[in-house]
Amino acid sequence: MLAVGLSLAFGIMGVLNLAHGSLAVLAAILYKKALFLYPFSPWTFCALTTPIFLGFGFLLHLIIVAPFRNLSLSSSLVASLIASLGLALILEDLFVWWQGWEPISTHVTFTTFNVWGIKIPGLRAILLGMAALTIGLSTLFLKKTDPGRSMRALAQDKEAASLYGIDPDFTSMGALGLATILAGIAGIFYSSLYPLGPREGLDLTLKALFIVVAGGMGNLRGPAVAGLILGFIESFAAILFTYTSTDTIVYSLLVGYLVLKRSGSRQ
Amino acid sequence: MKHWQMSLSIIILTALMLSSVIFTKGYHGIFVFSLIINGTMAVSYDIPGRSLGLISLGHAVFFGLGAYCFGILVSKGLSFFPALFLSLVLSVVGALIVTLLMAGLNHGYYSIATLGMLIIFQRLFETLESITGGSAGLYIPNSMSKLHCNLLAAFLLATTVACHALFSQSRWGIYSKETEASEEAAEAIGIPTRTVKIMCLMTAAIPACMAGMLHLARNSHVSPDSGFSLTLSITALLASRIVPVKGILGPLLGVLLITAAEEIIWTKFEGFNHAWFGLILLFAALYQGIDFKRREKISAAAEN
Repeated sequence: MLAVGLSLAFGIMGVLNLAHGSLAVLAAILYKKALFLYPFSPWTFCALTTPIFLGFGFLLHLIIVAPFRNLSLSSSLVASLIASLGLALILEDLFVWWQGWEPISTHVTFTTFNVWGIKIPGLRAILLGMAALTIGLSTLFLKKTDPGRSMRALAQDKEAASLYGIDPDFTSMGALGLATILAGIAGIFYSSLYPLGPREGLDLTLKALFIVVAGGMGNLRGPAVAGLILGFIESFAAILFTYTSTDTIVYSLLVGYLVLKRSGSRQ
Repeated sequence: MKHWQMSLSIIILTALMLSSVIFTKGYHGIFVFSLIINGTMAVSYDIPGRSLGLISLGHAVFFGLGAYCFGILVSKGLSFFPALFLSLVLSVVGALIVTLLMAGLNHGYYSIATLGMLIIFQRLFETLESITGGSAGLYIPNSMSKLHCNLLAAFLLATTVACHALFSQSRWGIYSKETEASEEAAEAIGIPTRTVKIMCLMTAAIPACMAGMLHLARNSHVSPDSGFSLTLSITALLASRIVPVKGILGPLLGVLLITAAEEIIWTKFEGFNHAWFGLILLFAALYQGIDFKRREKISAAAEN
C-alpha cells in the first residue's frame, strides 16, 4: 500500500516523497494514542482518519510540490526529494519527542482459520484482503471516476490536460491526498502486525521506493506484485541467513535492480 | 571565479590551517578538526554536485570505507603508515566499485541509489561483527599525536580544494558541465560521458576516503552509524549548497555555517538535532525553488 501511494505521487506529479513512510508512522502513533481512549478496530480508525490524512496530503502538496512546479522534471524531482527528506527528519524527531523511543505496537488479536488443515492467521489474511481491496478501489477510482481520469491525464501530458480544463494544482493535490491516505492505512495495519519504531519512516519509504522502481513508476499493480515478492524474499532471507543480514540482502537486491533497470536512462 | 571570492577562499583556508596548528586539544581542537573534515567532505561533494548536478545522499559511504579499511588493518597489527597507505588503496578500489555502479544513474535515481548504498554498508558492517566489531564499532590505539592528525587533515583539505579548482578548469570539468547540460548532446560531440562521470565521482570519493581514515586516526573509534552516517552525507550536501556562490568559496563558507549550526544544535537542542537539520534542508530546497523562479524571470526579461 505504501509503494502504491508513492507510485501514484510519482506517476502524476513526478515527486519522490521521502516523508511517505513517516506519514505511516504518524498514523500508527495516532492509532496507538486513540486506543487509549476507545478500542477502535483498525478499519474503523482508517475510516475515521481518512479526512485527516487527506488534509495532511494537501499540506504536503504546499511544501513539497507547489514550490517546485515551475522547475524542470529532473530539478523538481531532486528539490522535492531534498524537501521531503527534510520533512522526514523533522517528523522523526517529533515522533520520538511525542511518544518516546519505544516501538509503536497496536497488536490486534484475531482467530486463526483452518482451511483444509492449513492454519491461516486471521489478521494477516484480513490485512492481505484489505490491501488488495484498497489497491483495487484505488485502481477503480483512477480508471472509472472523473477525478481519477484527470489524474491520469495529468500524468500523461500536463499541458494537454490543462488545455482540456483540468486544473493541475487541484488534481495533483488530490493525488497526493490519496497517496497520503494510503500511507495512513498502511501505517495503521502495519502497527497492528509488527512493532514500528518512531524512526523507521525513512526505512519504510526506502523499501517502498525500491518496490516502486521495481514494479514500475506510476503504475499501481506493478508495485503491489513487487511488494509481495519483496515480502517473500525478506522472509526467506531471514530463514536462510541470519535475521540481521536480511536488510543487507534486501537492500542489495533493490539497489542492484535499480542500477540494472535505470542505468543509462536519461530520465 | 571573481577576485574577491578567490581572496576570501584563501583567507578561510589559511585561517583553518593556522587553527589546526593552534588548537589541537580539548573542545576547540575537536571543533577545528571537525571543521576541516566537514570541509573536505563538502568540497569533495561539490565536485560532482556542481559540475554534474548529481545530488548524492550517500557521500559518507566513502568516508566509512576509508575509516573501516584503515581500522581493520590497524587492528590486524599493521603499523600506522603502511596501514594508511594500504587502506587508501583498498578503499579506493571499493569506491571505484561503488562509482562504477552509480555512474549510470541520473537525477533522482542516483540520489535514491546512493542512499540505498549507505544503508547497505551500514547494515553490512553491523553484520560482519568478527571483522568490524558490529554495531559497537572498531577501536584502535592512538598512534599519532593530535597535532599531526590536524596537520594531515588540513593538508588534505588544501589538496581537495586544489583538486576542485583544477578539475573545474580542466578538460574533464568542461566535459562534465557539458554532460550535465545534455548527455545526448555531449555524446554527439564525442564526449565519453560515462568516463567523465566516473572521473568526477572518483575525484570526490578519494578525499572522502582519506577523511575517514584521518577521522579514525584522531578519534580512535568508528561505528557503522558514525562511519556511514546519513547526517554526515547531509552535512556535506548542505554545506556545498547552502551558500549560492560558485567555485570553492560556496562550500567553504557553507561548512563554516553548517558546522557552527551543528554545534549549536547538538549542545542547545538535544534530541532535536535531526529536526533542525531537516528544517535547514527544507529551507534549502524551498530556496532552490524560489531562486529558480527568480532566475527564470531574469532570463525571460533578458529575452524580451
